[in-house]
Amino acid sequence: MNPGFSFGSYVSGTSCVHRLDPRTKLIAGCAFIVVLLCAKTAAALAVCAAFTALCYALAQIPPSKAARSLAPLMAIVVIVAVLNLFVTQGGQVLVNWGILRISEAGVQTCLFMGARLTIMMLGMSLITLTTMTIDLTEAFEWVLKPFARFGVPAHELGMIMGIALRFMPQFANELAVVYHAQVSRGARLSNSPARGVRMLTSLMVPLFTSVFRHAETLSAAMDARCYHGGEGRTHLHPLRFAPRDAAAAAFMAVLAGCVAAIGYFL
Amino acid sequence: MIDVQNVRFTYDGANFALDGVSLHVRKGEFLCILGGNGSGKSTLAKHLNALLIPDEGTVKVQDMPTADADCTYRIRETVGMVFQNPDDQLVASLVEDDVAFGPENLGVPTDELRERVTQALEDVGLSGFERHETHALSGGQKQRVAIAGVLAMNPAVLVLDEASAMLDPRGRTGLMRVCHELHERGMTIVMITHYMEEAAQADRVVVMEHGHVALEGTPDEVLVQARALAHLNLDVPFAARLSLDLRHAGMAVQPTVDAGKLAREVLALGKAAGICTTADANAAAPDAADADVDFPTCEGDADAPALIEFQDVSFTYDAAEAKRQRKRKQAPAARQAKWGNSPDSLWAVRDVSLQVRRGEFLGVAGHTGSGKSTLIQHMNGILKPTSGRVLVDGTDIASKGAESKVRGSIGVVFQYPEHQLFAETVYKDVAFGPRNLGLSGEEVDALVRSSLDRVGLSFDELAEKSPFELSGGQQRRVAFAGVLAMDPQVLVLDEPAAGLDPASKRSFLQMIARLHDQGLTVVMVSHCMDDLAAMCDRVAVMNEGRLLGVGAPERLFLHARKLKDVGLGTTEPQAFAEALRAGGWPLEQEKLYTEKELAGMIAAACGAGSGNAGEASSSPAGSEGQVVE
Repeated sequence: MNPGFSFGSYVSGTSCVHRLDPRTKLIAGCAFIVVLLCAKTAAALAVCAAFTALCYALAQIPPSKAARSLAPLMAIVVIVAVLNLFVTQGGQVLVNWGILRISEAGVQTCLFMGARLTIMMLGMSLITLTTMTIDLTEAFEWVLKPFARFGVPAHELGMIMGIALRFMPQFANELAVVYHAQVSRGARLSNSPARGVRMLTSLMVPLFTSVFRHAETLSAAMDARCYHGGEGRTHLHPLRFAPRDAAAAAFMAVLAGCVAAIGYFL
Repeated sequence: MIDVQNVRFTYDGANFALDGVSLHVRKGEFLCILGGNGSGKSTLAKHLNALLIPDEGTVKVQDMPTADADCTYRIRETVGMVFQNPDDQLVASLVEDDVAFGPENLGVPTDELRERVTQALEDVGLSGFERHETHALSGGQKQRVAIAGVLAMNPAVLVLDEASAMLDPRGRTGLMRVCHELHERGMTIVMITHYMEEAAQADRVVVMEHGHVALEGTPDEVLVQARALAHLNLDVPFAARLSLDLRHAGMAVQPTVDAGKLAREVLALGKAAGICTTADANAAAPDAADADVDFPTCEGDADAPALIEFQDVSFTYDAAEAKRQRKRKQAPAARQAKWGNSPDSLWAVRDVSLQVRRGEFLGVAGHTGSGKSTLIQHMNGILKPTSGRVLVDGTDIASKGAESKVRGSIGVVFQYPEHQLFAETVYKDVAFGPRNLGLSGEEVDALVRSSLDRVGLSFDELAEKSPFELSGGQQRRVAFAGVLAMDPQVLVLDEPAAGLDPASKRSFLQMIARLHDQGLTVVMVSHCMDDLAAMCDRVAVMNEGRLLGVGAPERLFLHARKLKDVGLGTTEPQAFAEALRAGGWPLEQEKLYTEKELAGMIAAACGAGSGNAGEASSSPAGSEGQVVE
């Protein structure tokens, strides 16, 4: 029905970035955000930008693919930047329209925030571009593991994410079928609001019953295959840190050092 | 292997789904459990691997009682289970992760895991699919992945709970093949089904009714008991019906479920009576002729006005890609996948010209992925052709304003329509369509009444009930009524009988035939050639998005070989007739045999010779587990 559906923006490849352990990428991503937030000067930002560009080159992601994955996120960047343009005040006033005033400091912050966020988004996209969602799920589960002793159900959360990802395309398909069926029976969103609500129930109720139906049989099927929680489970692809993960960590540390040094000396 | 002793089980405390079942599954056998809907066969299956625990009686797997909680995981490791819906039982997004799920739970070390996954996928014929995404596979492939997932746990018994019910014929054949291969290597197989052709291939058959075992024995013993099976809401396989008919006509043939064996017996009788020419030279002739003759393209009552007309319709789900290719003036690359349908082939429908005439019953045949569903979604404008035109009553459906008019006059019933029910009462659900058309209260009321009546449901009994309380068959009828309530001129049906047991399927098809008799134009997509031949005025055959041919079934199904080339069969009587012809039996060339005609013809020809048939009937009995296609 809907063959074009795909989730995430994974670009397959065998570069060193692709082959990094997903946990390394996840942690490095978090570290990168922290570093970016600590970068207070244009010089520091420039270093971060150079670092991001280098990573993209290493991952062999063509710029067009990168731009496409960035496009939907740019809305956030633009909104934040424009907000800063008006909110931050200081220095010479450039434009004055009644309550709206743009000052020199506003323009500076606007550009700075825009650049910082763009780099941040680029960094995050690189993770989803080079890592399959399923691997990210496992990394997520591992990162949460230390919190298990405080009652965080790390394994279960990972399993839930995995199953959700598995069923996403299927529900998209089923929704398309139900939509076509109800449209064939004259359902339309336009016209009166009452009719719109009726249309929505006619879509949502079948979808939810189908979710419950799937959940029931899926749980029986998992039972039948001896699923009993995360205890004693082994993995087909156990996550193993390799030397290249250490290299990535060192790389990250160098970046942090550079940013810190720029902040300290300039 | 598995020992079931006097098991009783109830879901609600009042009605016993299993009521005193005793059953012994022997090591290495191929057991088939048959039964209509609600006979308790799936409940029994769930008892075999401790998903359900009996209320009374015991189930023992290799002497481990299922009631003992300590044995649960060892039992589930021994008895692997495959479920009905291919979409519900795959846990992971990638094939290899899904296959590894079971052994991962058992704590198998990683190196061995890899071996087991590779081996299991090889066993089901899906080597090389390790990194494929599960949701992009066909139904049959998903079921085979599910089997691989069970095999990776190294079970001794494989239980298939109606695993083939939702598959197309091609998927079903693949599934059966895998089961037979596993069985030959010593796997014990318990197959729950309501397909008689599958039961005919088993070593032993058990028929369930109302929670207990009604019949038990080899397929040749059980499946020929026509009266008993009809009483149990089941069908008798074609070969068994024919052999019974022939015996009834006084011929000395063994009652059997094996069409190949029956054909050999009949041929032997024919030779004895001097009807058959022994030469096989004849056999090649019809095939050779067949290769030259094109399918009939347009036939039947050409004067009848066209209600829906397809003019060179092509459709692609990826319009942008199509445009790019057209710009480059390049033929689309042949990206046909190695298996079944190819989800990424560009054109879903290609250059189709077809007329649906007023008052006719048009069948659409073709295997999954041949573009049937895409084709029928063009009929009421859900999909618009990428190129070409679709005219309904002379109006182009792509033109403005045509849409709402078309929606009312052409009712489309999708596959598994009961999954689209949503309202709190049957009345409201059926009234959804006419209300959307903006009709007044009384008109809606009258339409709901008449449409419920037309699908054979009682308005007074059901109107205020919730559709979710009804049985599966009734739900489907309600969904049907919801489409009929729009008072359409044309009813377009996508696999209307999919997933029903033989009895409900029969009554459902009768209902459709009745609607057609009442003057509705019907377009029906089906995998079952026998249904199409019996019901349709004309049949259109689709293959890889193209229309291969349209014509009356009497002409179309004669081209057995050509149909086989595109993965379809012909009708069962015709296949049998072809087998006779190949054996040197002189048959009329241009005739589509029905079962009755075939039995009558054979009996009449052998009428004189039935006396000296003694040698034929003494041929060794015993199922070979093979049915001629």
